[in-house]
Amino acid sequence: MPAPDDFDYEAALVACAGGEQAALARIYARESRYLLGVALRIVRQRQVAEDVLHDAFVAIWQRAGTFDAARGAGRGWIYSVVRNAALSWVRNNARDVPVDEETATALEDGMAVDHHATTRDAAETRVELGRLDGCLDQLEPGRRECIVLAYVDGCSHGEIAERTKTPLGTVKAWIQRGMRALRECMT
Amino acid sequence: MNPNNPFDAANDDDALQALAGEYVLGTLSAARRREVESRMASDRALRDAVDAWEQRLHPLTALAEPVEPSPSLWQRIEASVRPSAASVSANTRRAVSGVQGWWNNLNLWRGLAGSGFAAAAVMAAVLVLRVQAPAVPQYMVVLVAPQDKAPGWVVQTGGRQQEQLSLIPLGTVAVPSDKSLQFWTKADAWRGPVSLGLVTPGQPLRVPLDKLPPLEANQLFELTLEPANGSPLDRPTGPIQFIGRAVKVL
Repeated sequence: MPAPDDFDYEAALVACAGGEQAALARIYARESRYLLGVALRIVRQRQVAEDVLHDAFVAIWQRAGTFDAARGAGRGWIYSVVRNAALSWVRNNARDVPVDEETATALEDGMAVDHHATTRDAAETRVELGRLDGCLDQLEPGRRECIVLAYVDGCSHGEIAERTKTPLGTVKAWIQRGMRALRECMT
Repeated sequence: MNPNNPFDAANDDDALQALAGEYVLGTLSAARRREVESRMASDRALRDAVDAWEQRLHPLTALAEPVEPSPSLWQRIEASVRPSAASVSANTRRAVSGVQGWWNNLNLWRGLAGSGFAAAAVMAAVLVLRVQAPAVPQYMVVLVAPQDKAPGWVVQTGGRQQEQLSLIPLGTVAVPSDKSLQFWTKADAWRGPVSLGLVTPGQPLRVPLDKLPPLEANQLFELTLEPANGSPLDRPTGPIQFIGRAVKVL
């Protein structure tokens, strides 16, 4: 996450909708490395992640006019476009291409749960996660793990079951209950 | 909770929240994702629920480590959003008039190179449908560079050469002297990829098919950069240079 300052995402999106390409370039300059990180965790192949980011930026450019600040923050909207592009890709394509070395290393470094566990203490991440972190902490560890694996690593129910060696039905139930608890905690 | 019970508004809301939550979480299948997306256009409550879940879970994106994009990525994006970009595909389609020498058509390949991966796949399918040469190939694959989608090779099977597969270069590619290009394939159901041998840049390669199961639609083909004598393992170890999937020719 870039250092907080007064970058105005909403204004940048409005400018994109008005055809100002420099505004898209500003968003890219500021967010591309974070967005590529998000996409790579989900699609797990460097080339595909870059393709996803390309398509997402084209979509941001084309759909900036549909962004509605009343429905949420501009930064969140941008991240949703990228996550949705990455998720569509993984759900439409079996993950059958062997990951390249660079990506494999990055993935080993960053298995969501380990990463969550080790960096949760870092004050910075804690601040970013904010209230969500407190609510995640209140979940049973198994449920928390499922939710992080799904959201951050783009795992399907089946993949989560495989990774956590938990029956599929249990995974589905944990996610449902975990999500309900998160919603109650955060409202 | 029973989403089919119309008498219980609380249950309905639970079902809506669960659907929106799993959409944002990413656990829905491709078909269910599309369903939610089309329903959102008219279903205000669903859209609000999705918006709220996006905001709730958004902080988790901070758990992904930043990764620096290649310097060329912005150039690709810039090229795609340039006002003239939209007309490229129309021009490209017009360029595909004759069957003869279609793969020597520079405009066509430029058009392919400039559009996204999906567009390239669609174009490949469109092209394949238009090719009605006397010896009709059963399958065709256009192998493109993952970075810029530039097509580099075409794979053809069938026709008079039923028993072999041809990998045909569309140009030359530079390979470092201590490296080689290795050709791989993998069908959806196979456990791992199978090597089809080393490739000399700019040279066609013919591979007998008698040792492989019959080709299938969507079968993956790729060329990877490997040590001079090929991958030491039974799978690729180097980066993908060209990649594509088999399209059945009607």
